[in-house]
Amino acid sequence: MVGIVSYGTYIPQYRIKLADIASAWKKDPQEVVGSLGIEEKSVPGTDEDAVSIALEAALQSLTAFRGKPTDIEALFVGSESHPYAVNPTSTIVGELLGAGHNYLAADLEFACKAGTAGMQAIAGLIAAGQVRVGLAIGADTAQSKPHDALEYTSAAAGVAYVLGKERILAKLLAYTSFSSDTPDFWRRDGIRYPSHAGRFTGEPAYFAHVVGAATRLLVQTHMKPGDFDYCVFHMPNGKFPRDVARRLGFSKEQLSASLTVDYIGNPYAASSMLGLASVLDIARAGEKIFMVSYGSGAGSDAFIWETTSELPRVVEIRKKRSELVTQQIIKKRYVDYVGYLKQTHKI
Amino acid sequence: MHIYISGAATTKFGELWGVSPRQLAGEAVSKALKNAGTDSRRIEALFVGNMLSGILGGQEHLGAFFAEELGIRAPACKIEGACASGGLALHNAVNSVLSGQYNTVVVLGVEKMTDHKPEDVATALMGAGSEEERAAGATFPGLYAILACAHMKAYGTTREELAAVAVKNHYHASLNPNAQFHTRLTIDQVMKSSRIADPLRLLDCSPISDGASAIVVTSKKSTRGIIVAASCVATDSLGLARRKSLTELAATKEAGKKAYAIAGVAPRDIDAAEVHDCFTIAEILAMEDLGFFPKGKAAGAIAAGETSLGTSGRLIVNPSGGLKGCGHPVGATGVKQVVEIVEQLRGRAGARQADHAKVGLAHNVGGSGATAVVHILKK
Amino acid sequence: MNSPVKIWRNQKHIAHMLGREGTIVSWTIIRLPPSGFSNLAPYPVVIVDLSDSRITAQLVDWSEEDLTEGRRVKIVVRRISEPTTEGIIPYGIKVKPI
Repeated sequence: MVGIVSYGTYIPQYRIKLADIASAWKKDPQEVVGSLGIEEKSVPGTDEDAVSIALEAALQSLTAFRGKPTDIEALFVGSESHPYAVNPTSTIVGELLGAGHNYLAADLEFACKAGTAGMQAIAGLIAAGQVRVGLAIGADTAQSKPHDALEYTSAAAGVAYVLGKERILAKLLAYTSFSSDTPDFWRRDGIRYPSHAGRFTGEPAYFAHVVGAATRLLVQTHMKPGDFDYCVFHMPNGKFPRDVARRLGFSKEQLSASLTVDYIGNPYAASSMLGLASVLDIARAGEKIFMVSYGSGAGSDAFIWETTSELPRVVEIRKKRSELVTQQIIKKRYVDYVGYLKQTHKI
Repeated sequence: MHIYISGAATTKFGELWGVSPRQLAGEAVSKALKNAGTDSRRIEALFVGNMLSGILGGQEHLGAFFAEELGIRAPACKIEGACASGGLALHNAVNSVLSGQYNTVVVLGVEKMTDHKPEDVATALMGAGSEEERAAGATFPGLYAILACAHMKAYGTTREELAAVAVKNHYHASLNPNAQFHTRLTIDQVMKSSRIADPLRLLDCSPISDGASAIVVTSKKSTRGIIVAASCVATDSLGLARRKSLTELAATKEAGKKAYAIAGVAPRDIDAAEVHDCFTIAEILAMEDLGFFPKGKAAGAIAAGETSLGTSGRLIVNPSGGLKGCGHPVGATGVKQVVEIVEQLRGRAGARQADHAKVGLAHNVGGSGATAVVHILKK
Repeated sequence: MNSPVKIWRNQKHIAHMLGREGTIVSWTIIRLPPSGFSNLAPYPVVIVDLSDSRITAQLVDWSEEDLTEGRRVKIVVRRISEPTTEGIIPYGIKVKPI
């Protein structure tokens, strides 16, 4: 049985209030905050990027890991803000972690589901016996054009999952994926900011794929929403995950622990992975978690996890080091709009 | 065998837009040779002190460059030790005469800094520090600011006391026709000048300057010759992180101790001293490290005028205006300091003359204290 | 330090230092930065005691209260300076208050 062996999460300390962004563009702050359901979002430091954030998350994931960095035999980093178009983030991370040379490294891109695609691929390698331990990372310093709607939600964070077969804290009971060619959001090579198709990003994109993957997985496993203790969905804003949970038949209580978007916005490839970590931080042994990511372009990766008695040890270590998602959420300092523009390299 | 300085001269220091390094060198050397009563044919070797010509201007091989320019067809080389390049060039010149291989040699310290953008000069000056310091985004003022921070914590040194060094040296500079600055400063002006690296302000820092100085070193005794009683060098770690203490420059202490022993004098015997005030804190450290004041007491003494012309009981420090007031063309400074002491010992320092000057000291530092050169001169 | 070869040679050193903790010994705040560092200024440069050695490094994610003797910090990896448009990105060691 393949599963999560340990995990690490990193949210940069800086935050900007959506109200401050709105005021800069002479929009009504109340209106913006109300329509998106988010108060503030995380902002990377000027000298942070997807590489440094992926590395932080990876380092954290190794503190509770009982093995050594050289045990890692597959290392995938999913992001839509890899600093290089050619030159892998995964090997920079691997080298600095001390992973040695005997591992498969790959960088993935698939908008906000680049990280979860890596999780499924590595799970497959482990199940096939080709690899014993793998590290799947989702990390982003998401970019957005000033004055565009995405400016209110695009955030930064990184999450790393060590996957394996031994001493797992969450079993991967089942998984599936749902893909199509749906151009709801894209960024051309060499172009700085992404573009999107407005309201098209809703029903035919996010909802169609999340519901598509979720339904398929439930059917395959003969399970229903009531069988789960928690659910996690990709969080592009405060409304979509709540909406899709309701549509699929999940309750507010099942969803609430995962809603990191409310506090830090949408860190793209790290979004659903962070939601999962947030649930793991508070779950008890023997609980089931239903998780579906979404990446524009488009696709959704769906997972069913079941926690084990190995979980509390890891959570305790994270708590002692102030690395729980809730602890990182409250460790914050605000920047104003000019500071935000500087730190995201727009001025 | 004694080593003598038979000739010494300096150009004006400042932002000398229209003057080239060749012209600076030519002026300094020809004046020094004339001062020594000799000419270029008698010169058996040339030692050039310079730091930035290669990094900023792409010109290395300065021994050959200036030998040709000055018409001195003799063994020539550049000596580099960051801001101690001038002092080190003199040290090597002294050794070359002591060895018996040469009788009479010339030392030239020269630097042209204003041809380049200040940011490029600042980056080039960090060549004096360590790779780790450069990667941290440190600047030269930043390194001395770290020392100032440590000194202020350990001894309660205040920003006013730092400023007093700049005020004193500008006063001295106002009496020096060759100095870069002739404006007097107030404590308030220094403390309110723009922030460079906390706690150092703009006016705590020596300027970017052009200039050249030259000295003729010889084994031949003459009535006007000043004796080089000691020429000592010490080396400490390149970067601040590996220093044993952040409240002193151990290299200065060591070079000073060796020099006093060889010259057979003590700090109280020094009548005039040119010390390395690249930043105000550096002069305070030098006063303590050279044994002029006990640890933690120099700042107050300087502020009280104990080392200033007109108010000092004995020792005048940086009568030329120091690096702060006279200017700091990096490779030239170490040589200029000795030129000033020669003038003081000869009684030719005019309005900035220290009384009864019989023994003088020059102190030249490279980087944040990795190299220290101390010369003691006697009449 | 934008030579790919130098950066490559320096990787082991960075990997070795990552995550180590120490305390601040002395500091300054750089207000007038050198070339390549202007996007980060003003920033502190600190000397850190690491029990067996000391390092000089830039302090990140900081506020004025962190600049005290004995403040605990840990070593992290960040971009050292602004990369050029086409050049290699220099990652290196900085320190951050714990």
